[in-house]
Amino acid sequence: MVSLAVDNMLVGKDEPKGFLFENCRRNAFMAKQGVTLPKARSTGTTIVGVIFNEGVVLGADTRATGGSIVCDLNCEKIHYIADNVYCCGAGTAADTEFTTRMVSSKMELLKLRTGREGRVISALRMLKQYLFRYQGHVSAALVLGGVDVTGPALYTVYPHGSTDKLPYVTMGSGSLAAMSVFEDGYKVGMNEEEAKKLVRDAIRAGIVNDLGSGSNVDITVIKQGSVQQFRPYEVICKKSERQGDYTFPAGTTAVKSSHDMVPFSALRVTDEEVMEIS
Amino acid sequence: MSLCQNDIAYDAPEWLTGEHMTGTTIMAVEFADGVVFGADSRTSTGTYVANRVTDKLTQVSDKIYCCRSGSAADTQAIADYVKLYLDLQENETNEDPTVEVASRVFQMLCYQNRDMLSASIICAGWDKNKGGQVYCLPLGGMCVRMPFAIGGSGSTYIYGHCDNTYKEGMTEEQCLKFVADAVALAMHRDGSSGGMIRLAVLTKDGCKRLNIPGNQLPTFWSK
Amino acid sequence: MAVLVDEGYQTHPTVQHRFFPYAQNGGTVVAVAGEDFSVVGCDTRLSEGYSILSRDVSKVRKMTKSGLLGCVGFHGDVLTLTKMLDAKMKQYKHTHGKDMSCEAMAQMLSSTLYYRRFFPYWVYNMVAGIDNNGKGCVFSYDPVGSYERETYRACGSASAIIQPLLDNQLGYKNQSNANPAPLTRDRVRTMVRDIFAAASERDIYTGDEVEISVIDANGIDTQRFPLRSD
Repeated sequence: MVSLAVDNMLVGKDEPKGFLFENCRRNAFMAKQGVTLPKARSTGTTIVGVIFNEGVVLGADTRATGGSIVCDLNCEKIHYIADNVYCCGAGTAADTEFTTRMVSSKMELLKLRTGREGRVISALRMLKQYLFRYQGHVSAALVLGGVDVTGPALYTVYPHGSTDKLPYVTMGSGSLAAMSVFEDGYKVGMNEEEAKKLVRDAIRAGIVNDLGSGSNVDITVIKQGSVQQFRPYEVICKKSERQGDYTFPAGTTAVKSSHDMVPFSALRVTDEEVMEIS
Repeated sequence: MSLCQNDIAYDAPEWLTGEHMTGTTIMAVEFADGVVFGADSRTSTGTYVANRVTDKLTQVSDKIYCCRSGSAADTQAIADYVKLYLDLQENETNEDPTVEVASRVFQMLCYQNRDMLSASIICAGWDKNKGGQVYCLPLGGMCVRMPFAIGGSGSTYIYGHCDNTYKEGMTEEQCLKFVADAVALAMHRDGSSGGMIRLAVLTKDGCKRLNIPGNQLPTFWSK
Repeated sequence: MAVLVDEGYQTHPTVQHRFFPYAQNGGTVVAVAGEDFSVVGCDTRLSEGYSILSRDVSKVRKMTKSGLLGCVGFHGDVLTLTKMLDAKMKQYKHTHGKDMSCEAMAQMLSSTLYYRRFFPYWVYNMVAGIDNNGKGCVFSYDPVGSYERETYRACGSASAIIQPLLDNQLGYKNQSNANPAPLTRDRVRTMVRDIFAAASERDIYTGDEVEISVIDANGIDTQRFPLRSD
C-alpha cells in the first residue's frame, strides 16, 4: 500500500523521477562530524480560511523567517491551484511552493482532459496522497479552499497527509492565536464583509502575538465564478520613518584607480549583433 | 573566548511539528439487526485540539463503516485504500462486499505495513450472510470478531464498565445507551478524548447518524 | 528539554531527556561611549520561542548615578544576577561611603560572572556610564566574565546584524577619506533609535519599544520610542 513509486512530474521519460536522495548518507555523516547543515527557509505563519454564505475567504500573513531572522517581509502565501481553488501554505517555504505548484499543474491537466472545472476535493486528494507518501518529510501544512459545483469547500492538510473538513480553519505557528478569534467570532451564514473582517482579525492576532508571523494581511475571496485578491488587505505594522541622515559623502567608496572610471553617459553602442538561440 | 557563542537551539513546539493523533475513544456493538457505533470527536496534536468536531466514523462501503484511532494520516489513508478496494470488488462481482472481506482488507494493509503504521481500527457493518458484525483490529494487524469492541486511548478507562454492562441480546435502544454511556465515561477520564459523541446505527436499511453535543453528554454516574 | 537523537532511518526516533535549565528570552542592547557621555539603548520585548511574554520589560538597570547595566539572555539569570549585583553595590556603599565607580563595577561584574564558570549565568552584559576621569565608557562581556572596554557595542539577539552597522557608522570601517566628527548626544540618540527600528524589521526577538538613556555629568536622561509590534 505504501508504495514509493513516484509519479512522473515534469520530467522526461528516461529521467530519474521525483526527489534525488543521493546526498542523504553524506549529509548524515557530515552532521555526525559536527557540521551545521543549512536550514530551509520556513514560513512560521498564520494562515486561515472561513466559509461564508457565498463562498470562501482565505487569509495569510506575509512574513518568512529563517531561524530568528526575517527573510522576507512581504512574501505571498496564498497560492493559485486553479481558477476556483486557492491554497495557503505554512511550513518549509520550498515545500509549500512546489507542492502547490505541482498540484496546480495536475489540476490544469485534469481540467483539459475532462473539459470541466476542477473540484476542490480533487486537489485535496492529490495533496494528501503526495504528503502521505513522504511521511511528513515534505513539511507543508496547508489550508485549501475553493468553490466548485458542490458549493464552497474548505479543508486543512497536515504534513503527514491527514485532512480535516471544517467551516473555519487555521494553520501555522499563529494558528492558536487565530483560532481563538474564530472560536469567539464565527457565525453560521456570514456575509462577505463579515467574513473578511473576521479573517482580518484572526490574521492580525497571529501577526501581533506570534513572532513567526508578521507584516501584512493578505486576503483572497473565492465565490462562484469570481476571485478577488487583496494584497495587501491591510498593513498591520508600518516601518517607522528614519530620523537621521546617513548619506555617505562623495569619495567614501574606495577605488583602485580613478583613471579606469568612465562616466556612464560616455558609453556608446558601436556594434550590435543578434545571436540566434537554438 | 567564550563557550556561549551559539544561541540555545530553539525547538519548535509540539503542536507545530507533531503528527496528528486521534487520541480517541471508539466503540462498536453487534445487535440482532446490525451494529451500533460510537466515537468521541477530538483530534489532538500534543496538547492542542486540532479538530473538536472530527468524524471518526468513516464509511468504506454502503453498509460497512470503520472507527479510526491512532495516526490521523495513517488511518485516513488506510480507509481510502479499503474504500477503493471494496468499490472495485463491488463493481466486479455486482454484490455488496461482506464485512468479513472488508476487515480482511484492513488487516492485510495493517499487517503488511505494521512497521510504518500506527493505526488501530474497528471495522463493523451489516451483510446478508452474517448480519451485523464487529471486527477489532488493534495495533499489530490482528483481526478478530467480537460481540462488542472498544478502542483508542480512552478505552482503557472503560473495560470494566463495558464488561459489567454488556448483556447479550440488547435492543437498538439499549445498545445506543450502552455506547453513549461508555464513550461519555471514557471522555470524562481521558484527556485526549472529548468534544461530542458521534453515534451511528447500521442495519440492512442503511445508516442512521446521531450526535450528542458536548453540553448534553450522559452524566448518569455522577448522580 | 527533549533532544531528538537521529540514528539514521527510524520511524520513531529515540527521545533523550536531559537537564537544561536555560531559556533564551531575546532582546538587544546597544551602547555607545562619547567624549563626556555615553548612550545605552535596549528594546522592551521579552519572548520565548514564538511567544511574546511581555512588551514592556526594561533590560537596562540603573546601578549608580552615572552607571547603567544592560543585560539580555535568559531572563531568570538576569533577575538573579542583578539581585546579586544590587546587594554587592549596597554593601560597597555602606563599607566605603560612596558609589562604586564604573571601572570598579565592571571588574566586580566580571568576577561575579567568572565565579559561575561551570554553571554560568546565561546573560550578555553591558556596562555604560562615566568613568573616573569624566569620560564616557562602555564595557562589554561574554557570559563567563571576559570583558573589554570599548567605544561602541551591540549585544543580544540582533547583535550580529547591528554590530557591522556600528563598525561602519561609528568605527568608520570600509569608508575611505572619512573624517570622523566628534559624537554628539543627539546624533548618537537618533542613530540608536534608527538602528533599533531597522533591527526590529529583521530580528523577530527585537521590537515593541526602544528605551534610550543618555548618561552624562548631569545625570541620566531616558526616553522611549515605539518599534514594530509584530
